[in-house]
Amino acid sequence: MTKDQKTPEEHVKYLKDKFNTNIISADIKKRAAGSKKNETPSIWMKIDKGAFKEIVKYIIEYNYPHLAIISGNDLGNNIELIYHFTVNYGTRLGEINLHISVELPKSKPEIETICDLIPGALITEREKQEFLGVKIKNIPDNRRLFLPDDFPKDVYPWRRDEKGLEKLYKNLHEVKK
Amino acid sequence: MAKGLPKSFKKALWVYHCNSGSCNGCDIEIIAALCPRYDVERFGIKLVGTPRHADVMLVTGPVSRQMVDKVKRVYDQMADPKAVICVGNCGNTGDVFYESYNLVGPINQILPVDVHVIGCPPRPEAIINAVAKAWVKLETLEGG
Amino acid sequence: MSPEATTKTTYHVPIGPIHPALKEPVFFEFEISGERIIDIDVKLGHVHRAVEWASRKRNPIQILYLAERICGICSYCHPAAFTLAIEAAADIEVAERAEYLRVIQGELERITSHILWAGVAAHEIGFDTVLFLTWEIRERAMDLTEYLCGNRVTKGIMTIGGIRRDITKDMLPRIQKDLKYFKDNFGKLAHIFLDDKTIKMRSQGAGILTKENALKLCAVGPTTRASGIKKDLRADTSYFAYGDLDIDYITPEALTGEVNGDVYDRIIQRLLEVKQSIELIEQCVDKMPAGDIVSEPKIAKVLAQLKKANGEGVGRHEAPRGEVIHYVKLTGEDAPFTWKVRAPTYNNILPWIPMLKGEQIADIPIVAASTDPCMSCTNRVAIVNNGQRSLLNKEQLHRLSVEKTRRLMH
Repeated sequence: MTKDQKTPEEHVKYLKDKFNTNIISADIKKRAAGSKKNETPSIWMKIDKGAFKEIVKYIIEYNYPHLAIISGNDLGNNIELIYHFTVNYGTRLGEINLHISVELPKSKPEIETICDLIPGALITEREKQEFLGVKIKNIPDNRRLFLPDDFPKDVYPWRRDEKGLEKLYKNLHEVKK
Repeated sequence: MAKGLPKSFKKALWVYHCNSGSCNGCDIEIIAALCPRYDVERFGIKLVGTPRHADVMLVTGPVSRQMVDKVKRVYDQMADPKAVICVGNCGNTGDVFYESYNLVGPINQILPVDVHVIGCPPRPEAIINAVAKAWVKLETLEGG
Repeated sequence: MSPEATTKTTYHVPIGPIHPALKEPVFFEFEISGERIIDIDVKLGHVHRAVEWASRKRNPIQILYLAERICGICSYCHPAAFTLAIEAAADIEVAERAEYLRVIQGELERITSHILWAGVAAHEIGFDTVLFLTWEIRERAMDLTEYLCGNRVTKGIMTIGGIRRDITKDMLPRIQKDLKYFKDNFGKLAHIFLDDKTIKMRSQGAGILTKENALKLCAVGPTTRASGIKKDLRADTSYFAYGDLDIDYITPEALTGEVNGDVYDRIIQRLLEVKQSIELIEQCVDKMPAGDIVSEPKIAKVLAQLKKANGEGVGRHEAPRGEVIHYVKLTGEDAPFTWKVRAPTYNNILPWIPMLKGEQIADIPIVAASTDPCMSCTNRVAIVNNGQRSLLNKEQLHRLSVEKTRRLMH
């Protein structure tokens, strides 16, 4: 289903040439498994928010990716979102994992939606909004997804700061003093 | 259990199964109890689709925040006399989810539980044993 | 009310939430006009138990047991994906024999899960004899699981760097005997599902998911393969021993020569996968190398090594329902900094919308069940009829489905 399949190294080189300063770092990790030690390559890329959508467009042009999930970290001053894509599926041992990480400052944690490019991103984008308190701009559906409607407004379970969960912490087996 | 059992057979129990946020582990064991290997239907025990027909309520899961009022409503819809069986560790003690922010359980803080079945998940034999124990309780309630 | 007004009214039908899906039980709201579904809204989170958050207070070995309790049916694939993620993050070596044993466990889980699904699907269209038949077969798979792991449901078999129980020579005859039993009964099941007129009538042309939609909505597992997309982690990537084994992509084309992406195709898909799983277990039993089953048997040592590790890792495993992916970040502490879990149903929820649009209410159970979200027990429907609420429970919904089957048969 692909026109020409690029190796992970070629992908990284191409993206670095095209977006140069917008790509903060790019590593290729390979992990072998089994007796034959076949390898699965993964590209871990840290990119600047500005070029994010262009890079997603590049991947879609290359080969429609599968967006597995967006995961997130609270890094103190920044919130990191990691988009886990895979491309080249459908060829025996040819799949490449592509983990694109974007850091958003906590003062303005906003990022453009990619639902217009990949409609399947909706559920995971909604989840990131309620669990990490990031703002996804132009998201087609802004409601809550997992948390109940009566859940406090300004609490985001995956945060590690004052907006985290300490207030709601409950331990069934706590020994009362 | 053995003492009250012969009398209890006069009435076949209908069971309603309510999932309050369980992982499905207990739920498939409940279905397994109904299927050919364990076949509780030979005793007249039957899973029904609505609480209004049921004598016994099987609750699985640790009761998440969104499910509390639903579980209570299901219990209220059952006709008296009724018994509640809590199946699985997480409904009884919280199990691995004991410190979660989204739990309201254990179930005995929400509903009056008559039989606790421990296990993660309990084996079908244990679930059948629990329903048999609920028989005895229902007999007592009826004054039989 | 005048007839014109009633013809234009659409009804809202909420389904759930007393409805046991896997990690994510679902609340649907259907907008229907007459019998046809016009729009669908989905709400999740009734079984949100804060699993990912709870990981912040536990070490990786403890998380294995937490991961196992995410889903009772996928109680192998979540720990498996988590282990893969940890091993990638901390660069831990895995014992070679364990890679094969891990495949055997994974495929055994797939057989159990797909047979369970076949029973549920038959139940949804009112074919209860098949439900009992499949569960009889499934009990054999559960017995084999118990024989190999010591438990029926939560297996407790995975560990970091290997696996916890070996398959010794004296266990092989039992495994072969059971595999033969599955093969014999596979023919029986295939005959029922593929040749039965009733099943064909209910499933052909129902709940179509086109290839384009499957791609755009990021569907995974048998749901996406039944729409003709070759996406199977076991063949795409090299993890466990799958890279060594002879494995090919399976799509419904293999049997029927065409891909429609309907419920029937998803039934074929899962049946073919059961056969593939039996073959994979046989391959593993043949090719398995001798040696240790775990690279570091002392858990304290593993934990000490993980405490020093810094890094991120992603573990992906093809679960019975599709790709499960775990992301782990280690920062040199007892507990991982972040643990993100993505179960396959998460991605298979959005595809429900194109599948169900335009279908009849009576088709909801079988179409929704065809992605295997485990609608095994109760779901309850309330019909809001011009502000008046009347309840339609799972039994009635099921009855509607059964009645449709009967109507088609006459």
